Amino acid sequence: MRIVILSSSVYSESACAMAVRMAELRHVPVGALALSTLDRGTLQRKLEQWGVREVARYARTKLIPHRSDEKPQLRNPYLEPVLKHQGGVFRSLREVAAVHGFAIAVCNDQNAPDSIARLKAWSPDLVVFTGGNILRKQLLEVPRLGVLNAHLGLLPEIRGMSSPEWSLLQHIPVGVTIHFMDTGIDTGPILQRYEFPHAPQCESLSDLRNRLIAFGIEKAAEVVAGLDRGTIVATPQADLDKDHQFFVMHDWLRARAAERLTQSRLAAVPGTVNG
Amino acid sequence: MNSRKDQAMTGQIAKALTEASGLLRRPQRMIPLIRKLVFDKARVTFEHRHLYSYTTTKLASGEALTSLLHWILDAQRPDGGIAAYYSLLTGYSESYPEVTGYIVPTLYDFARSSADDRAAASAERATRWLLSLQMPTGAFPAGLHGSGAQPSVFNTGQILQGLVRAHAETNRPETLRASVSAGDWLVKVQQADGSWSGPGAYQDAAHTYYSMVAWALAELSERATCSSHEQNDYAGYGPAAERNLDWVLSHFRPNGWIDGINLRCHPNYLHFIAYVLQGVLECAILRQRSDAIETVAKSAWVLLRKFETNKYLPGAYEADFKDGHRFTCLTGNAQMSCVWQRLFEVTGDLRYLNAALKMNEMLKPLIPASGPRGIVGGVSGSYPIWGRYQPLRYISWGCKFFADALLLEQRLTRSFDASTVEAWPCAS
Repeated sequence: MRIVILSSSVYSESACAMAVRMAELRHVPVGALALSTLDRGTLQRKLEQWGVREVARYARTKLIPHRSDEKPQLRNPYLEPVLKHQGGVFRSLREVAAVHGFAIAVCNDQNAPDSIARLKAWSPDLVVFTGGNILRKQLLEVPRLGVLNAHLGLLPEIRGMSSPEWSLLQHIPVGVTIHFMDTGIDTGPILQRYEFPHAPQCESLSDLRNRLIAFGIEKAAEVVAGLDRGTIVATPQADLDKDHQFFVMHDWLRARAAERLTQSRLAAVPGTVNG
Repeated sequence: MNSRKDQAMTGQIAKALTEASGLLRRPQRMIPLIRKLVFDKARVTFEHRHLYSYTTTKLASGEALTSLLHWILDAQRPDGGIAAYYSLLTGYSESYPEVTGYIVPTLYDFARSSADDRAAASAERATRWLLSLQMPTGAFPAGLHGSGAQPSVFNTGQILQGLVRAHAETNRPETLRASVSAGDWLVKVQQADGSWSGPGAYQDAAHTYYSMVAWALAELSERATCSSHEQNDYAGYGPAAERNLDWVLSHFRPNGWIDGINLRCHPNYLHFIAYVLQGVLECAILRQRSDAIETVAKSAWVLLRKFETNKYLPGAYEADFKDGHRFTCLTGNAQMSCVWQRLFEVTGDLRYLNAALKMNEMLKPLIPASGPRGIVGGVSGSYPIWGRYQPLRYISWGCKFFADALLLEQRLTRSFDASTVEAWPCAS
């Protein structure tokens, strides 16, 4: 099966892990289409999301080679087992591509005509989305099977942004859905839903999110293998007439979601009174 | 038709000349004017908001609330009325009966939340002034104080809100008498279809945003019946409110748009769209009309999606929420925050609270933290300040609605218990 990976940056840890995992399952991508790292909008979003210090730290870990005695620095430590390579870790898609032999293209807009032309040249059966723009119809129609996404929430109940946090606040099990993308927000046909059993062990919301990302990559790779064998079929979502879309969560509500996570952790420890 | 347009044009030219002459009389106002113009221009040019921009609290809501209330207290004139606005060109306006009326509940709410006696004292002074303005018919006059003596349905309704609340707080019989007299006049001049049009209505036409008047009547119905044994005397207010509610509901389109705002020579400002929604929602809550709550929720959801997707709401829309104008009506934004928070209370859908918290975060940095009296702590009509809605002015009703939004935020976040939030009923 010819697979292409879409990524928000060549330095995306999720994209690197997805490419490595695909390769391990003998589905080496034919290419990866990444957004430019120096895109002004992306940089500004990351600055708002992470803060200056974290962006600087992230840039340092990606651009300056670490010493051999230094522990590999990843933003998501749960990806380390997948990204381990020659005593260190893969730091960019370019490094993964050099080892596994696939092409990398960088663009400013994944929906732009030249990006779509590049994608068509790879004639993919499947595109795996790990980040980037909101995808338009022209791009979604390029791959033979579709564009696959690992959504960090159970569909159709939780669509959109801040899905793990909303799941906690809405009393819906935390989980991951592997689905095909369409022009709506997380409204495409579902391939598999997986509840995440380890939420009570998570220390914080970012810990939960990191674990879910790693879990989603693992499950997406399994689904790709299933699609290749023909053992998995997509099912259209129910409740498409209802608006299940959630939006980026305000910090005050995030703090309440974190409290809920703590409560679930305390409840899971035998002999602990849930206060 | 043409003579009406000519009249409107003449009025606008006269207004512009008056405003400009204000600057000639007080040239020292030039400095804050230029400072604000430069500040907004720089902000509009360089600030590009993203998905995460409004999720973090950078300014405490309590501090913002206090500065808004200081602005309102500063705007109270010696007669007890609250000025309509502070213009960067002409300074404070005359007292404005309409806004003075519906600021009264905000002042009492603030007094309760902060134990600030000045706010309650200010509300009492405002109420005394309002009582002195009531016409023998029970109506209240249109426009700024001293600008004319035409009775106004909308102003009477808005003032009625304040009088009903003042009576609830003080239990003074004269306040109830004035409220009942105003309510009786509103019922008397209501059309058979539930609307208000004719000489007491703005531009003589019926408007859907008069749902705010229906809300006031529904409040009066509740208050009057629980204050008296003679309940039959007050039986008409609730049905009158519902007659208007039904008339307004007939103007909602299936896509959430509301017809009948009906302001000649003005676009459909968000302020008036939000008025319709607030009036219908509050009236529906009081009258237990779930059909009306669902209808409001649909329109409010359309605006919520637009805000969440685009990170701002345009200051005015064409029909069907199309062609949003490229400025922000801050008052309308604050009103939508109130609508979303009340919908959260009614439906339990946390997405409304989430959007309102983000809206409040967006508005807080736009309150000037320094500057002369009239500017510091104020809410401008538009952002940028030269936008079409109340340009170059800090307006008292903007402060009122944003204070209401922050007071609601305080109440809802203090009483929030995540463990009791049910799986949500979906907006559909």
